[in-house]
Amino acid sequence: MDKHIVIIAETGATAALPVTYELVTLAAAIDPDHIEIIVLGTDCGDIAHEIAGRTGLSVTAVSTSVEYTPELWKDILSRIIPGRGPDLIVIAHTACGQDFAPGLAVRLGTSCITAVESFSRTAAELTFTRAILNGKAHMDIVPDLSPCVVTVLPGAFEAYSAAPRAPGSIEFIQSDAKPCKIMPSGMSHPEEEDAIPLNEAEVVVSAGRGIGGPENLDLIERLAARFKRSAVGGSRPLCDLGWLPYRQQVGLTGKTVSPKLYIACGISGSPQHVAGMKNSQLIIAINKDPNAAIFQVADFCIVADLVEFIPLLLDEQDGTL
Amino acid sequence: MKILVCVKQVPDTEAPVAIDAGGRWVGPVFSFRMNRFDEYALEEAVLFKEFQHDVAIDAVSVGPERVQAVIRRAMELGADTGVHIEISREGYMPPEVIAAHILEYARNKGYDLIICGAMSEDCMHAQVGPLLAEMMGLPSLTAVIAAHMREDGCSLDIEQEIEGGLRRRFELVLPAVISVQTGINHPRYPTLTNVLRAKRQPLKRIMAREIPLMNRFGFREAATVKQGVMITGSMREQAREVVRILHEHAIL
Ligand SMILES: Cc1cc2nc3c(=O)[nH]c(=O)nc-3n(C[C@H](O)[C@H](O)[C@H](O)COP(=O)(O)OP(=O)(O)OC[C@H]3O[C@@H](n4cnc5c(N)ncnc54)[C@H](O)[C@@H]3O)c2cc1C
Ligand SMILES: Nc1ncnc2c1ncn2[C@@H]1O[C@H](COP(=O)(O)O)[C@@H](O)[C@H]1O
Repeated sequence: MDKHIVIIAETGATAALPVTYELVTLAAAIDPDHIEIIVLGTDCGDIAHEIAGRTGLSVTAVSTSVEYTPELWKDILSRIIPGRGPDLIVIAHTACGQDFAPGLAVRLGTSCITAVESFSRTAAELTFTRAILNGKAHMDIVPDLSPCVVTVLPGAFEAYSAAPRAPGSIEFIQSDAKPCKIMPSGMSHPEEEDAIPLNEAEVVVSAGRGIGGPENLDLIERLAARFKRSAVGGSRPLCDLGWLPYRQQVGLTGKTVSPKLYIACGISGSPQHVAGMKNSQLIIAINKDPNAAIFQVADFCIVADLVEFIPLLLDEQDGTL
Repeated sequence: MKILVCVKQVPDTEAPVAIDAGGRWVGPVFSFRMNRFDEYALEEAVLFKEFQHDVAIDAVSVGPERVQAVIRRAMELGADTGVHIEISREGYMPPEVIAAHILEYARNKGYDLIICGAMSEDCMHAQVGPLLAEMMGLPSLTAVIAAHMREDGCSLDIEQEIEGGLRRRFELVLPAVISVQTGINHPRYPTLTNVLRAKRQPLKRIMAREIPLMNRFGFREAATVKQGVMITGSMREQAREVVRILHEHAIL
């Protein structure tokens, strides 16, 4: 059964983001013969060439009057998508994708399935799978309406790497849509203090809300201090609570790390945290909940209260020095 | 200025997951609390109230009777009125259904600002805010990490958090819907006056009508995907084993 798929590319300033090629992998696994890609931006010609060259797929480059706003993207996409008659619209589950995808679905009279991590298909239907409860359980969704909008979690699929026979065609559209209720006013980068190079550390010991209170950070620091080239990291709530500076946050909206060893202490293992540490070479997780999702990415799992366990671990290390 | 804050009751992070043989998500039946993102949403509303004149804050939640606990909590935290959109049965509701219920209540009420959390901790859709906005024909911004009233009094300066901690800035014309990210403020504890008021003051109760589903869905526990090696034994033995593993991997 043919499925016509439209992918909305996710772009940085000068190039498509890797997740764009992950979306292509998903689409190609569903129906490699009926995929097209739309890229939007004030100056997206080069990116359109890059995507058409790397994938061999046909690309529509929409040049916009101003930078991204969800309103503008929805205006433009809800005008050009219906004419193309897709069954599926695939968008990255990034800050930007999450911002406009649900509203786009409403405009197209359909529903949106977000943060998809995998899919399966039978002859008749597609099933999309996403995590709930910070990864403790999964939800399978079969869309009953067409088209269906899905947002795909970055990192869930490998980037598309098959070499195309020829670059895809590119169609250029100049959009005259104007912002109305939302005006873009640039980007900012919150002042970064002299960073401990979290992403250069060979060992990262990370604390989550399970540490209970800032007084227990001392345990985490003492454990980290046992390793050379180590650093303390944390989940987002610890930074929001002010227990750790934001530069020590690991995850989607923090740092991405891939140390030799990552020790997760009292971290539940939400997809947003896991996105930032899953490529660590060795992962040890300490959590008192035997069903915590962090145990799905960990190589070694310790079900224990960390306040009791870490002192014992420090003690055992002393014994072997 | 009228503000509506959408608050959800979610199971505790550590509560066991209960999924029945039919793939229905049935539990837990105890240990619920307010979605943490919504605590930030409420605090943001309270901050607006402290800095503007004449701000009224309503808090709304959609769900069975048990969700009244988070509506009361919202009043303790500073909401002036609590609204309960009552669903007669337990069970999962998709985001488009929740948004449709809130729409039904909120349309034509003259809200200048609707504040949601970026995401519910249990369902993790990150959809109700932007869906509701679109259904109401209002502009929407998500992952909002800063929101300040502009001098004109009818638009906001917004910062949206994107990957890697970068921020995108926007000017947003009211009325609008924003979905706030944790860290936008520091939620405070309830005041005694509000705690007492929340106890006594009746909630506005609305019986929800039936809303048809757009998709089919089922649930299953995730433990089967991949599981690392469980280190067993007494805590002392576990610690010893970890040290051995670290030596084996030449990390210590
Ligand atoms: C757009 C967006 C971006 C996000 N970006 C990030 C990000 O970059 N990084 C990030 O981390 N999060 C991010 N989050 C938040 C994320 O969804 C989770 O809320 C967060 O990761 C949870 O942190 P946690 O695991 O520390 O806390 P919780 O989920 O509350 O988990 C605490 C864990 O500690 C365990 N525990 C409790 N007590 C003990 C004890 N005594 N001993 C041992 N274990 C114990 C519990 O069993 C539980 O598993 C983002 C969310 C959104 C919506
Ligand atoms: N049942 C509900 N009642 C009221 N508000 C809700 C409900 N479910 C979700 N919300 C709001 O929508 C936000 C996003 O939820 P979700 O789309 O489920 O991730 C939450 O942070 C709440 O502000």
